[in-house]
Amino acid sequence: MISLHSLSKNFGQQTAVDRLSLEIPAGQIVGLLGPNGAGKSTTLKMLTGMLAPSSGTATICGYDLLRDGIEVKKHVGFVPDSGAVFESLTGLEYLEMIAALYGIPADAARERIRQFLAFFDLGFDVLTDKLLGAYSKGMRRKVVITAALLHNPQVVFFDEPLDGLDANAAVGFKALIQTLAREGKAIVYSSHVLDVVERVCDRVIIIDKGKILVDGQPDALVREYGAPSLERLFTHLTGGDDLQQRAEDFAKTFRP
Amino acid sequence: MNASPSEVQSQAKVLRRLYLTLFLRGRSSRGLNVKHSAQSIGRRLLMTLLFYALIGMMGLMFLSQPVFNLSLYLHGASLFFVGMFVATSSGEVLFNEQEAEIMLHRPVSPRAMLWAKISVLLEVSLWLSLAFNLVGLVVGTFTKNGSLLYAPAHAFSSLCSALFCTGGVVLVYQLCLRWFGRDRLDGLMTFMQVLMTLVLVLGSQIAPRMIEWLPGEIHLTAETWWLALVPPAWFAALDQTLIGRGNPTMWTLAAVGVFATAAVLTLAFGKLAGSYESGLQTLGESKSRAPEKTGRPRLLQRLVALPPLSWILRHPVERAGFLLVGGYMFRDRDVKLRLYPGLVPMMMMPVVLLANGMRHRGTDGFMLVLAGTYLPLVPLVALNLLRFSQHWQAADVFLVTPTPGPGSIMIGARKAVEVLLVLPSLLVVSAACVWIGGGASSLFQLLPGILALPIFSRLSGISSSQLPLSIPGEEAKAAGRGLLSMVAMISAMAVGGAAAAAKSFGYFNTFLIVEAAIALTCALLMDYKIRNLRWTPLETAYNGPA
Repeated sequence: MISLHSLSKNFGQQTAVDRLSLEIPAGQIVGLLGPNGAGKSTTLKMLTGMLAPSSGTATICGYDLLRDGIEVKKHVGFVPDSGAVFESLTGLEYLEMIAALYGIPADAARERIRQFLAFFDLGFDVLTDKLLGAYSKGMRRKVVITAALLHNPQVVFFDEPLDGLDANAAVGFKALIQTLAREGKAIVYSSHVLDVVERVCDRVIIIDKGKILVDGQPDALVREYGAPSLERLFTHLTGGDDLQQRAEDFAKTFRP
Repeated sequence: MNASPSEVQSQAKVLRRLYLTLFLRGRSSRGLNVKHSAQSIGRRLLMTLLFYALIGMMGLMFLSQPVFNLSLYLHGASLFFVGMFVATSSGEVLFNEQEAEIMLHRPVSPRAMLWAKISVLLEVSLWLSLAFNLVGLVVGTFTKNGSLLYAPAHAFSSLCSALFCTGGVVLVYQLCLRWFGRDRLDGLMTFMQVLMTLVLVLGSQIAPRMIEWLPGEIHLTAETWWLALVPPAWFAALDQTLIGRGNPTMWTLAAVGVFATAAVLTLAFGKLAGSYESGLQTLGESKSRAPEKTGRPRLLQRLVALPPLSWILRHPVERAGFLLVGGYMFRDRDVKLRLYPGLVPMMMMPVVLLANGMRHRGTDGFMLVLAGTYLPLVPLVALNLLRFSQHWQAADVFLVTPTPGPGSIMIGARKAVEVLLVLPSLLVVSAACVWIGGGASSLFQLLPGILALPIFSRLSGISSSQLPLSIPGEEAKAAGRGLLSMVAMISAMAVGGAAAAAKSFGYFNTFLIVEAAIALTCALLMDYKIRNLRWTPLETAYNGPA
């Protein structure tokens, strides 16, 4: 469903994504992990048409990213880590505007929005009383997730989707993406919360400096490298072995 | 596979409605509820239109003049106001960084987004233009060789001139993208806005003089050839042609206007619209670029550590405020796009007045006095504009710092503006004054302005809502900024007028002593007030005063 062939992105002299190639079939949840600046967000932005690749190609749902950009976007949903929304719209205005951009009729859009509200256990008045700028971070995140899924996309990219969600909403959301995957959607889940990724994802890809370091099932990777957990494997692969010592040294600097 | 025509049409409608709502409400809100927001926008817009309509009453002065002169004035002033509005708004409207995160992964073509934005800019431009021309439409009917056809003819030519103006600004942006590439987009956008504002300010000064020089019957000759290069003359000629008062010269000028409008629109929205997507993507890219690692502190930080800045910035919070505001003045795209175009009229007016002073050396330095009184407007307008930022939420950090109030930060901000903007302006104006006035003694004429500096630079600091970079950038509506500039200019004229009157009656020295005493007293009182400001609770800051 998602296919990348030597996809690269350069910013001047700096290579953010370096000849990335991979295949993601329908129904799979892929965790995309990496330290800050590894190229995760850049990869997701390229796959959603927000950034033009410097070289390489990708197809999503059979559509070429460069040639059929609009078709790709119709089949893709994206939750960016920034959680950016038009803050001076109400939640309802925002969601109805997004639905209209995907050609969803107004009645169907309103019904779909009600279903999401029910899922997140929210009343309809929440969406009409306040402008998005006045929403809490969690509420805003719920609106962004709703906006990404309103058009029932075949492929969904999540960049730190749990950021700001309360515990119940987070549990519900994790169940939701597993259900969506069972219904045949391909899901790419980028996060720094490794234990969530370990529990939710069928497959984990760890990237650093724009290159894939490892790619496989979480359990199999942990076994293969003899690491006690995915977290320890991640820190080992990305140069974080001495983090405990560094933390202790740093804490000493606070002592009078 | 492309979208069907009905899909495209419906998307265009949705986008137009979206951008109009965003334009009227601003792109970010500060916890406003829907009701409060809608009221404040409606009132603000109404006030702006009313203000434009009032300024448009200047058209009454043309009741006894030929209708061509009236049209020339109306089109010249309309192009100035609409041009200023479009030039200052278009950067924010066309290239909004946050918007890329929301819209670029949606199935919307960049061309559709561009069209929707342009149509909103045009719609608002037409409202402003209509408000300004309202009186002129009536005057044109009754003025010398006026006509009943004048109102519809002028409405049509105003539509053309608004299209030309909006298209021209967009074209400049598109050309910048194409010729200079993505990497330098940020700097270029600021530069082009400043340049466009400069051209408009100069144009508004030249246009009235042009009208004085015009003969009753216009023909393109060796003396009046320049009319073919002046857009207001094209559209004024279109008025003449449409009301049936044309001659070959008018027909030629009108044809140039129609052709130029068509060419600008074709280039801006047709041939060059493809560059728009790459421009939007650039905003995302520039964020990801690694900063240069020189290993040295930045220039501003080095300067602050050295005398004389280290002497005037001994308080650590003032120094932090200075560095914060100084950094944003030079590095932040959003702040630069608002600050420098907003300051151009304040910077240019002294130059225009000094040039006038050069032509009228016998006026005993009146122009020099007036030029000096524009200097205090620089800190007033700059500090006002520096309240706005796209990173306004970051200003919450001030509230958790162990400081009793915002005074020290605001003082630091004021000092940054004084050192980095006012001082260079003062040096340039002083040098020009010495050159024009024929010696250092003419610097005396600048004193009324210089003495007013402490008051004007503190005016913006006497309320805690003037905390730097603490208000969403979108709340600084372009039309409102025009209003502020106008009010500021009128107040400068008042100080200059009083000084000039005192000078002509032989009381200049007395005036200076009185002004210095008032300035000193006011500055001390304002400093006391600023230092004793206390933090506004968040709920008040976000919902406005009760």
